[in-house]
Amino acid sequence: MQHAAYNSRIPYMLAPLSSRSVGSALLALAVLLAVPAPAQNWAGAEEQLAGKIVSSTGPKTMALEVLNRSSLSAATTDDIRRNLLTQLAVLGARFVPPEQAAATVRVSLSEDLQSYLWIAEIHQSSNATSIVMVSLPRSAPLSVEPEAAAMVLRRIPLWSQLERILDVAVIDGNPARMLVLDPNSLTTYRLQDNHWQAEQSLPIAHSRPWPRDLRGRLIRGKDNLFDAYLPGVHCRSSAGTPPPMTCYDSEDPWPIGTDLSSLNASFTSTRNYFSGSLSPGVGKQTTAPAFYSAAAVPRGATISWLLAAVDGRIHFLDGSTDQVLEKPSWGSDIASVRSGCGSGWQVLATAPGDGRSDAVRVFEVAGHEPVAAGAPLDVSGAITALWTESSGTGAVAVARNFETGRYEAFRLILTCGR
Amino acid sequence: MKLFGLFLLAVVSQALVVAAPASTRPHYGGTLRISIREAPASLDPADSDQVGMFASPGLWRLIFDTLVTLDARGQAQPALATSWQADPGNQRWQFMVRHGVAFQDGTALSSDSVAASLRAANPKWKVFAAGDAVVIECDAATSNLPAILTLPRYSIAKRGGGKLAGSGPFAINRWDPGKKLVLTAREDYWGGRAFVDSIEIEMGRSFREQVIALDLGKADIVEVAPEQMRHAVSEGRRVQSSAPAEWMALVFSRDSQSAEEGKLRQALALSIDRTAINDVLLQGGGEPAGTILPNWLTGYAFLFPTTVDLEHARQIRSEAGGGPGWTLVSDPADPLARVIAARIALNARDAGLVLLEPSTLPTSSKVANVGLVRMPLPSLDARVALSELAASLGLPTPKFEGDPAYTLYAAESALLQSQRVIPLVHLRTATALSVNVMGWQEDPDGSWRLPNVWLEMGKP
Repeated sequence: MQHAAYNSRIPYMLAPLSSRSVGSALLALAVLLAVPAPAQNWAGAEEQLAGKIVSSTGPKTMALEVLNRSSLSAATTDDIRRNLLTQLAVLGARFVPPEQAAATVRVSLSEDLQSYLWIAEIHQSSNATSIVMVSLPRSAPLSVEPEAAAMVLRRIPLWSQLERILDVAVIDGNPARMLVLDPNSLTTYRLQDNHWQAEQSLPIAHSRPWPRDLRGRLIRGKDNLFDAYLPGVHCRSSAGTPPPMTCYDSEDPWPIGTDLSSLNASFTSTRNYFSGSLSPGVGKQTTAPAFYSAAAVPRGATISWLLAAVDGRIHFLDGSTDQVLEKPSWGSDIASVRSGCGSGWQVLATAPGDGRSDAVRVFEVAGHEPVAAGAPLDVSGAITALWTESSGTGAVAVARNFETGRYEAFRLILTCGR
Repeated sequence: MKLFGLFLLAVVSQALVVAAPASTRPHYGGTLRISIREAPASLDPADSDQVGMFASPGLWRLIFDTLVTLDARGQAQPALATSWQADPGNQRWQFMVRHGVAFQDGTALSSDSVAASLRAANPKWKVFAAGDAVVIECDAATSNLPAILTLPRYSIAKRGGGKLAGSGPFAINRWDPGKKLVLTAREDYWGGRAFVDSIEIEMGRSFREQVIALDLGKADIVEVAPEQMRHAVSEGRRVQSSAPAEWMALVFSRDSQSAEEGKLRQALALSIDRTAINDVLLQGGGEPAGTILPNWLTGYAFLFPTTVDLEHARQIRSEAGGGPGWTLVSDPADPLARVIAARIALNARDAGLVLLEPSTLPTSSKVANVGLVRMPLPSLDARVALSELAASLGLPTPKFEGDPAYTLYAAESALLQSQRVIPLVHLRTATALSVNVMGWQEDPDGSWRLPNVWLEMGKP
């Protein structure tokens, strides 16, 4: 048995960190994001196709035409054409007008479901048309950052992988660590030489099948490094380097607040929502409608909560009443962020819809009414998770990029404009 | 082409406008009501008479799993098998069977039950359990066995006592053969419980009956005829369409018997105005085809001409001399096929060729038949798709040898050069959805991914 046909995932890091401090490291990531990802390397394919063409024609005079029948841009097509001419010339081809050419070659840059396919149709006076082709895999497209708005919501890439990401947490320390929670494991990474190095992957044991639309949350522990909550399962780290983890079946409520706004909610282990049972409760309120997500709205000494309910509406719990807000048209994921801008805390909300793109928008909650406080941050894919960080200073979002199929986790922070 | 591009844009725009629900995270609950044209008499994916019918929109996946599945890019992904490997030579394969999976009758899936199911599906293979693994020994090197195992007939099923059970996300609740199927979501499905509680599938409904059911709120998902897609969009319906995947072609019942007959077949291929068929008869619901597999799957189909060349057709016919003509057979229950067959007969006549419909044929005449066939794309793996289509039509088994970039092209070219088939068009499949259907996912070939669909009105 030699040929493994299915490979386990190979995590792919978006960009390296550049500082020992996590905060500045994340900032550096944001800067690095502006640098386009390396373009696909066509050189091998150009050389290979040129070789096949010359093998068919010999080093003759030829006329070359390049047609783009793929999703490649016009500029890329021009580059490929130029490089192909160079490669052919290196192999002895000379280029002349079609009427003087011993061979006319039409190269079509085509593609199929998985690959680019470059096809050369070679016409020589006395022979039938011959066909040569090369294929090369497609790489992922580039992402583009949105422009800044008055209250600026910034996206800082954290991690990208093919497997669904449930949550990501970056833990300050020396060295800094990053935890990536997915349906099968919790993987710890250590910051070393400006790169996240995989440290260990801890399997998550569970006795029941995961529900579809699986969710999970990482919480920084008070007396341990972290706790991971998944439907019907609680995993807890112990002391050690790297930290070991124990998972067990549990219906314990999940912490949904922050270090400053503590609230626990029971998660329905066979579904994708919280049941509405709250502990210790919001003031006197210990039950609420079933909800997908919640956002704290601190006002002085009191903390109210917004719930994105399963019924599609937004509920405002102020400790004694449950009011349904009519205005906001939000998606099912909301989170709050302590920015220091405006009222101090803002609410992040996904957009409604189940389309191929999503957006996160910032809202100030004045009284009970959320008011948009900046331009939406567009995301090229559907957001599958949005959690307030334990510190409350940011939120972690995960989106599935429909074009690449990868899950991309990023940190969302708010700055007070320029 | 520009006009059709605008039309497609309209289809997408329409979908985007209507597909804005009040929430992004999927809801659990509700009953999804589907109406389809086909009326299978059996749910058994190994029943060769039914595969073509029930496989088309991927409904078999609701009840059954395979060891391997293909993603939307045609790449093999784990399903009931968590991993696999082949011996050198690709003749002997080992698949590790997933733990914690149960058939809908509660029986645990085991390597023994998987082996029994695969043995029934392909008696030529030697299949046996080896601990937690299943070993398959093929009769020849089979480098793409994982992709082959994604075909419906290799669904893992438990048969016994006249009952059929799968390990898929839904359990059979009620089955009236050819009429109605009611499925219930399985709480214990290894891939996660489906979002809807149940699915009701009404079968044997014409396109017209389906649209009426959608308009009356009695169906959530219906099929739309390719030629009706543009009309459905203009009427404000929410329509999703696939890539051009369903193949329509003329297929000769036997090999060409002489060089002259080969020339006549070439003349017939040149006489057909595929662009007019697509633009007028199909209302832009497809793409003219010069190949068996569509260009989006192979990348090379554009190399094969699809344009009409009547002058050349006449010249070749003249060189070949007169022939006996052919009888053209099409499905009498398919009005679109009948209309297209009539158009092809007219095109042929313009080139001096004779295509007779069976009713006009003298009983004493001994002329070769040619059939107008419609075949769904059997797989998103191009090599598997070509092999399956060739087998269905009784064509020689394609050989995939040599340069990987060239081998598929060479194999398909060889099939086309046999002159047993004349490709006509690749049709899009279209689906109309009610406004409360969310999370719609469809493969490029038009197969539905229903376990991820949820209903906006559904309550937990």
